[in-house]
Amino acid sequence: MYQYDEYDQKIVEERARQFRGQVQRRVDGEVTENEFKPLRLQNGLYMQLHAYMLRVAIPYGVLSSKQIRMLAHIARRYDRGYGHITTRQNIQYNWPSLEDVPSILDDLASVQMHAIQTSGNCIRNITSDPFAGVAPDELEDPRPYCELLRQWSTFHPEFAFLPRKFKIAVTGTPGHDRAAIRFHDIGVRIVENADGAPGRDGAKTRRGFEVWVGGGMGRTPFIGVVVRPFVEYEDLLAYLESILRVYNLHGRRDNKFKARIKILVSELGAEAFTRLVEEDFERSRNPDLKLERTELERVAVGFAPPPYEPVAIARGDGKTLAERSANDEAFARWLKTNVLSHKIDGYRIVVLSLKKQGIPPGDVSDTQLDRMADLADRYSFGEVRTMHTQNMVLPDVREAHLSEIYDELVALDMATPNFRLLTDIIACPGLDYCALANARSIPLSLELSRRFEDLDYQEDIGPCSIKISGCINACGHHHVGNIGILGINKNGEEVYQLMLGGHDSDSASLGRILGPALPENQVADAVEKVLAHYLKFRTDSEETFLDCYRRLGPEPFKQAAYGA
Amino acid sequence: MATPKGTHFVITANILGSGAPAYRRQDGSWSTNLQDAHPAADEAERDRMLADAASEEADIADPYAFPVRLDGPTIDPLSAREEIRAKGPTVPYRRPDAAQGAH
Repeated sequence: MYQYDEYDQKIVEERARQFRGQVQRRVDGEVTENEFKPLRLQNGLYMQLHAYMLRVAIPYGVLSSKQIRMLAHIARRYDRGYGHITTRQNIQYNWPSLEDVPSILDDLASVQMHAIQTSGNCIRNITSDPFAGVAPDELEDPRPYCELLRQWSTFHPEFAFLPRKFKIAVTGTPGHDRAAIRFHDIGVRIVENADGAPGRDGAKTRRGFEVWVGGGMGRTPFIGVVVRPFVEYEDLLAYLESILRVYNLHGRRDNKFKARIKILVSELGAEAFTRLVEEDFERSRNPDLKLERTELERVAVGFAPPPYEPVAIARGDGKTLAERSANDEAFARWLKTNVLSHKIDGYRIVVLSLKKQGIPPGDVSDTQLDRMADLADRYSFGEVRTMHTQNMVLPDVREAHLSEIYDELVALDMATPNFRLLTDIIACPGLDYCALANARSIPLSLELSRRFEDLDYQEDIGPCSIKISGCINACGHHHVGNIGILGINKNGEEVYQLMLGGHDSDSASLGRILGPALPENQVADAVEKVLAHYLKFRTDSEETFLDCYRRLGPEPFKQAAYGA
Repeated sequence: MATPKGTHFVITANILGSGAPAYRRQDGSWSTNLQDAHPAADEAERDRMLADAASEEADIADPYAFPVRLDGPTIDPLSAREEIRAKGPTVPYRRPDAAQGAH
């Protein structure tokens, strides 16, 4: 992974030192709370229902074992022994004290981490495909570009005070977007242009970027639009900068709820918005932003492939795997759901489930983090990833090690074989923690997890995402759940709106509200009825829930959920 | 919307150091226990207490008032939000680790 140079390291250390001074001045009464609030938000420190919440950046979801051990230490020393993986690949701590936060930032800086720009009206964490660099269907590893974007966006002087928060995601896999780029303010997809113009090193095709803009969830969800189907490789930063400049200039600042770029694109129209961006791009053409090959290579060094073993060694004799799969049903099930193909023969991607029944989705303890670091060192070249679906990943595991790693994960409660299945639920913290929430989301996620715990049932249903948000801000991504659930407050009562048909990848779609909101104790029944209808009317076991819903439409599911 | 008759108000804030919810007592001190709060009987008293709280930034942050109902001596928040805030999360927040102790 990318290693900080002296300049990077100085930035995070100075930032931590600066915040220590700011905290001291607040505690001493030299600054008011109103003066202090924007300063603490710029360091990812929120005030929530019960305590402060610190959001730590995990750039494009990549962590070293050293960093994971530090996250474990922070959870143990300064918090209540756990952290929460977010839907933007970051980690949050729910219980730090104000006076400990400078020390937390010092600790983070010591392992090249920080909480910069995880809040506020600025460019937030750059997110990406959790299988970047190892997925067999990938065109190009997006991580070097993510790192370049991170460096470009950190403390960018022109974009430190945008109309609203700004989120960018990058994918390197055309045809299988695992980064939900269509639901970001800017989504970038690495593509190949076969128009005959020569590429780098005389290649017949050339690589560039398809740029999407104006996607988002929240109270007004939008699927993004393509603002330019092919941005030349060297123009990536300059083109994105033009988009940000147009947004900064024209985005609404009069109404917080209309301030995202998606509203600007919608109000102007995609064509007019694109014209403004193209005009700015033509006009500015900043040579300093031209992406030189040497600069990409400087950054890409950190993402060079690890020293993979030859396939014979990586695979081992194959006997252990085959025998255990044949005789150990639980292991076979885990192998089928949580272990994925890798681009290198003999290796696999292993998903570490943070969705065990009875545990809030995405929560991870200090012990789990520490042991995960050990596993990463032993089995995955010292690297772990976070997923926006609130699981974690060991990206480079030899097939020969799968059996022993499974046993370790079982002992850690991280082997629940439910990746992409019904109980692989996304849920925001909701009203149990969040000052913005209107309803609780975690208890409902636990109830659904319990109701649908039968693994045979889950496998029969097949891929089906449940996503739960505790308010219209949609941090639980309910708009793009195959089954989305939004908690609302109606006359003082928590009720839940059911939506069906959302999807955050290619062929993206927004879920549609199914019917009247339901009290909490009726939601699981309604979901079960919807699923029963799917099982009864799917064409065969290969037709997914989403495809079935798209084929049949909402009406039969509505009747199933709410009765005739 | 008019305040229903009999509604009282509690002044709350977050303790500067911990961020924990705090409730204003009659003597102007702060308690982390909602039941220690002094419920203001009307909007005038509420506004007076809120103005006093706003000047105490050394100890607390973001004071505001929320409506409550009195059930005898018991203060009952009218919203789920304030109830959760007073009692804590309704879900477990410490993962039971199968591996704990083995680390």
